[in-house]
Amino acid sequence: MSNLEPNEPHVGVYICHCGGNISDVIDVKRVATELGLHPNVVISREFPFMCSDAGQKLVIEDIRSGKINRVVIAACSPMLHELTFRKTLQRAALNPFLYEHVNIREQASWVHKGDHEGATQKAIRLARAGVEKILLQDELEEIQAKATKHVLVIGGGPAGLKAALNMAARNLRVTLVEKSSRLGGHLHELDTLYPSGESASALLAKLLAQVNESPLITVVVGTTVTAWDGFVGNFTATLSSGATVNAGAVIMATGYDHVIPAGGEYNYGGDPRVTTLPKLIEHLKTSAGKPLVWNGVPVKSVAFIHCVGSRQTEGVHAPQADGKVNDYCSRVCCTAALHSINVLKARQPDLDIYDLYRDIRTYGRGHEAIYEQASKNGVLFFRFTEDAQPEIREHTVVVKDILTWGEEVEIPADLVVLVTGIKQGAVGELIDMMKLPVSSDRFLQEAHPKLRPVEVANNGFFLAGNCQAPMDLVESSAAAGAAASKIAALLSKDYIPLDPYVARIDSEKCTGCEACIPECSYTGALFMNEGTKKAEVNAALCKGCGACVAVCAPRALDLAGWSIAQMEAMVDAMVTEVPA
Amino acid sequence: MSTVESPDTNAPKILIITTIASSYTGANTVGQARAQYAPNTYIMRVPDPVMFPEDFYLRCFEKGFSGIIIMSSGSDCPYEGAYGRLSARVGRVYLTMREKGIPTNRLKLTTVCTVCKHAFLKEIDDMQKVVREQAA
Repeated sequence: MSNLEPNEPHVGVYICHCGGNISDVIDVKRVATELGLHPNVVISREFPFMCSDAGQKLVIEDIRSGKINRVVIAACSPMLHELTFRKTLQRAALNPFLYEHVNIREQASWVHKGDHEGATQKAIRLARAGVEKILLQDELEEIQAKATKHVLVIGGGPAGLKAALNMAARNLRVTLVEKSSRLGGHLHELDTLYPSGESASALLAKLLAQVNESPLITVVVGTTVTAWDGFVGNFTATLSSGATVNAGAVIMATGYDHVIPAGGEYNYGGDPRVTTLPKLIEHLKTSAGKPLVWNGVPVKSVAFIHCVGSRQTEGVHAPQADGKVNDYCSRVCCTAALHSINVLKARQPDLDIYDLYRDIRTYGRGHEAIYEQASKNGVLFFRFTEDAQPEIREHTVVVKDILTWGEEVEIPADLVVLVTGIKQGAVGELIDMMKLPVSSDRFLQEAHPKLRPVEVANNGFFLAGNCQAPMDLVESSAAAGAAASKIAALLSKDYIPLDPYVARIDSEKCTGCEACIPECSYTGALFMNEGTKKAEVNAALCKGCGACVAVCAPRALDLAGWSIAQMEAMVDAMVTEVPA
Repeated sequence: MSTVESPDTNAPKILIITTIASSYTGANTVGQARAQYAPNTYIMRVPDPVMFPEDFYLRCFEKGFSGIIIMSSGSDCPYEGAYGRLSARVGRVYLTMREKGIPTNRLKLTTVCTVCKHAFLKEIDDMQKVVREQAA
């Protein structure tokens, strides 16, 4: 029988065997026995598969019996089943946050296979730490923010158009804001699209017709966002026209810019024979079916040089405006170059084409076939290294070809095409205004590539297309679809549930010292109440990083669910000895 | 990489502070690869280690942890400005450690991503050497 008062935490501990994944290494019976000795643990069990229906039923029955009001499950990673067990608690009418998940598989049994005793002791300490944490856990409640069922799409290129159409198809109203005078973005520049060979103009016309026909999409061109306010579910964008848009979520589809070769790189800007791939593609579009003529001169031979403005190395390449080189791969340019080569060869089979590359990265579905076709078309490939760039001479390009053991090859070239990369568009003002995270490559950063793809850490922001990373049209469309799906789910109810793990303040303890205010990077999330002279948190704007918590001397601030007291209690449990 | 230890209940303990967005998943990736390291390592997950006041680390040493590895998300941190603040904070902890005569190599701030298996294991190996030297 428990000696605990009814209002005290009564913890149920469940140790999962994971069908031997855990129990083959960790003595789960011993872990359960040791945990059962804790004064607040009233039930301590081990079970073959806690995530199974039978395992979850066990927890539900124990809760419903009134024996326990807190749950600790020691099993696999919380990344896999934390949500599963939260729902289990909900089914038993217990607050889903009164549960702690302890990882004794990925971070114990799987990594300590040769040390069963050590792994078992560690599992005991980790499970005890879980118990100590949950003893100090409050009944957290999801934060609810009103959901405005209207979406703002910034950027009217193909990703923005696809995103708007996808959301309209889900009955969401959309305002599509484009800063230039027309929709379509870089799709206007393109000729035929790989891998389908479809006409870019025809595709664009189709997309524009669909957008124009949709009663749910409002298009605003020649307009920028000049001010930003609010939080997920209730953003307000002020446009350069003076109009305001209220939106529950926003899709960033701001696209990309072409990298312009640095002054003098491969004689670009000085030698009229040297151009870039985007300019060649535009030329192909306006000279359909005709043999290649450049600056009035018929072209008999063309050399393509890859990785210009991409995969740059410090000390070798000139830095960009921010002082850093573009060390990332622009991904799409290899296939784009090879596709253009095949277009050229189809028009002019006797054209000599030389392809100078560091690596060919034809990564997408059907891309490798484009590479194979270029090879079949008689294109000659030469491979160079980053420290031995090709050199442009009067009528030739010289390359040290590592495919022929470093032989220096002199290639005749009437035209040199620099296969330039892509970079983040000019969205610095939006980034500053909206406080958006930026990756080391300067593109907008998604919260997590696997766990939260196309989402930004800032709640309510989503990414579509090349503003996130170099993508081809297929990938951009997929990202736009993914973002639209996530927004449809987000705005499906009248309110948006937000994670309760945000900063909270005990106003009794707050001394009004204001040390926390400069620690917060999110406008409006943490502020001083002019009346009470104490700090206050806007839970809908707080991102839950905890930066403010660390500087609060009287410990008035804490992160819900991750309080310093909880962390300290866990530390104490981890260092407590375990009987051998 | 890390070797499997023989059972040793008195082995110096290492606290590994990980981030939900990056290094905690990185630790899982190590497990999924069945890479092995010693069990005197205790992984704590938090939204971001920037939440810890400077005295938290000193308290961990006092309570019995011999080494602490802060595996941050580095420049990939989803929280604006958090890495800079964390870095400055850890710098101040080092100053206090020096004042108190605690070897500063017992606390390491590093960056581990979701798939950084080798970096994760290397940091543990490095810290194992430090705490063993301290214990000797």
